[in-house]
Amino acid sequence: MNHPVWDLPLLGSGWIIGIISIIHVSIAHLVVGAGIWLAFLEDRAQRAGDRELQAWLRGRAKALLWLSAIFGAGTGVGIWVAIGLVNPTATQHLIRAFVMGWAIEWLLFAGEMATLIVLVRAYDRLRPRQRLILYGLYALCAWLSLVVISGIVAFMLSPGAGWTTTHAMGDGFFNATYLPSVLLRSFVSLALGGLWALAAGGVAPPALKPRILKPTALFTLAGVLLTVPAGWYYFQSFPPAARELVLGNLKGATGLAQGFRWALLGLGAYLLPALLVLWGVFRPATFRRPVALLGLLLACWGFGGFEWIREVARKPFVIRDVMYSNGIRVEQVAGYQKDGFLPQNAWARTFAASKGDTDLAKGEALLRSQCLACHTRDGYRSLKVLTASNTAEDNVLLIQGLRELDPALNPYLDRMPPFAGTEQEAEWVGKYLSSLNGK
Amino acid sequence: MTPLPIPAPDPLLLPMPPSALKALLLVTFTLHLLAVNLGVGGSLIAAVHALRGKPEDRDLVRRLAPMLPAAVTFAITLGIAPLLFVQLIYGPFFYTASVLMAVPWLALIFLLMAGYTLLYRFVGSAGSESLHAFSGIAGALLLLSVGLMLVNVTTLSLRPDLWAAQAAASPQGLRMNTADPTLWSRYLHMVVGFAAMAGLLLAGWGAWRDHAYARRAGLRWFIAATASQLVWGTWLLVQQPAPVLDLLLDGRSAASLTMWISTGMGALALFMAIPASQGGAPARAVWAPFWLGLGSTLGMILLRDQARDASLAAFGFHPGALPHKTDWLSLGVFALTFAGLAILLIVILRWAVQPVPAAGEEAP
Repeated sequence: MNHPVWDLPLLGSGWIIGIISIIHVSIAHLVVGAGIWLAFLEDRAQRAGDRELQAWLRGRAKALLWLSAIFGAGTGVGIWVAIGLVNPTATQHLIRAFVMGWAIEWLLFAGEMATLIVLVRAYDRLRPRQRLILYGLYALCAWLSLVVISGIVAFMLSPGAGWTTTHAMGDGFFNATYLPSVLLRSFVSLALGGLWALAAGGVAPPALKPRILKPTALFTLAGVLLTVPAGWYYFQSFPPAARELVLGNLKGATGLAQGFRWALLGLGAYLLPALLVLWGVFRPATFRRPVALLGLLLACWGFGGFEWIREVARKPFVIRDVMYSNGIRVEQVAGYQKDGFLPQNAWARTFAASKGDTDLAKGEALLRSQCLACHTRDGYRSLKVLTASNTAEDNVLLIQGLRELDPALNPYLDRMPPFAGTEQEAEWVGKYLSSLNGK
Repeated sequence: MTPLPIPAPDPLLLPMPPSALKALLLVTFTLHLLAVNLGVGGSLIAAVHALRGKPEDRDLVRRLAPMLPAAVTFAITLGIAPLLFVQLIYGPFFYTASVLMAVPWLALIFLLMAGYTLLYRFVGSAGSESLHAFSGIAGALLLLSVGLMLVNVTTLSLRPDLWAAQAAASPQGLRMNTADPTLWSRYLHMVVGFAAMAGLLLAGWGAWRDHAYARRAGLRWFIAATASQLVWGTWLLVQQPAPVLDLLLDGRSAASLTMWISTGMGALALFMAIPASQGGAPARAVWAPFWLGLGSTLGMILLRDQARDASLAAFGFHPGALPHKTDWLSLGVFALTFAGLAILLIVILRWAVQPVPAAGEEAP
């Protein structure tokens, strides 16, 4: 970690990304699916000459613009801000690796906004065919932006050997989990967008309800059901170590196992909307908005669970086999273990100097740089709690043990980066850990 | 002397020459700033006229308000690209500054969403009898506070000499860059610039749509705001660090010429706007100050970049020296996407301004 550390007590800075991301990815996928749904229903309405339905869809396009422009764009910028704060080293690496990918995605987002604004603002000037084309173009731009972003997100899980040697964007983009990721995310989009549409249709005028709810419920059902094989295909494409990390941590009382169990419950909850939407197919007249909102909530929980699993499956890396979750690149570890982390990291040195350069200050500086990306001192994944029963000597031995790069000698290596520092630096961290419990 | 804690740049090479990235940064930032001028400056103007409440003010607000949400949408969308290019070129400075004031920087997102929501509420009320002027004022102030966070990070990123003290003062990243003397002068210079440019855009719209009150009101905003830049602009100038101030005042360097030319254009626009804002002035009198004011803004954007590079050069950073290896494939895909988007925009904008179809044409 070459940058200063944002030291956020109790919650930990990682959760800031988590909270903003889950809101953003839910909205981002929802608006993709909702865009496809709008084009699908507008096409049906035009074929049937259904003016009432077309007018109703105009209102949904307006709502989508509001959702997309304020909260989609706002939380999207929020993710950028958050990842830059929590892991600036990794963010910079990803931006350098994929700058044109981000730029292409930006163009597509601009296309999304432009088509939707013209559709909403100039609706009365548009001919029906032009409206249909605009609905279609909006959906296309939104989906293509998903297609582009998926490449970068999937890269973090499976960058592939090709990229690590060439550093060419194409080699990183078309990685092992890319296609499964695009398929899975596309189907999740259909489900979320469909549930949002059902929530809107639930309060539509009674005469209009069946014409909205029946096709929308089938659209949603398709999204939910298609997610199942896509999810399985995606999981099978995980790098073996990532798959083992997930499967090997489903039992037990560790925080990781509990997290996986919550995520798995979420995946189960994701399927429940498949049953709820049947109400919309068979009894559209009695279908109510809260049913769709409940379904949307369950689906977001499931999708959040999936995103959590994907994030955790990268452990101990932020970019698998390239950069550890604390921003240290794999090839830097040997140098830090030989020549020391502090002499090569200006910000860790600056922090230690600000606290008098004592052993404890150096230990705290090292801990901030190498541990706080995932832990807090006394809140989430509390180091104080995790080391409460350790003696001072245990703590030193623990950190010195984390220097081992052989998985047979370092049992934490599958989920935690090795300690990148000298024996002496490990001792300082051990001392600081003991000081958390007053030892 | 202890070396300053400036992080090393990322080891990956830039995907194109730094000069090309700089050009993209300047172009996208200019587009972003134009949208911000209209969206944020326009919100401020609309809210103030809504408070005045006279019939001509209400009419002005009704006409101006529908443009504002789209302008803010494009301000956000167009702001993403320069943020990307800034991170690419000036990453070590940008990230360090943002982490050191993490909480106010993160607050930007919530201020933005709250401000935008209130703006929608204000705009939604523009067509009704009860105009929500308070929402307009609160929305405009929240959007302006987003600018304050941006100015904080921008100014802090130029002052590595302040970083260690900033980090020691607040390890949780709670503190803004208040130790920097340029913070408030730069912020006020920017906010007043928004009002001036929004006024000018309003005046241009008034001349185009033959709306005399919009034309005059817009020019008055431009005149008042630009005249006050004598205070804010001079304050900002004299507070620049010595190497930057020397460069700006030497009368020979590109930065100095840019400053004097754009200031001269702004002053000329101001003097031409005064007669153009009088009652009997023809609509076409707007265009000379309009284009001069726009030219002055473009010059100031260039000047801002020159001053940034001069500030960072004092700390040994030269963006032109960053190593690169051009990635032609991804550049080609970007160019194709850009061309596709440009065609799409031309087509849909033509649709957006075509006449409303006759009743018989409506049938699908």
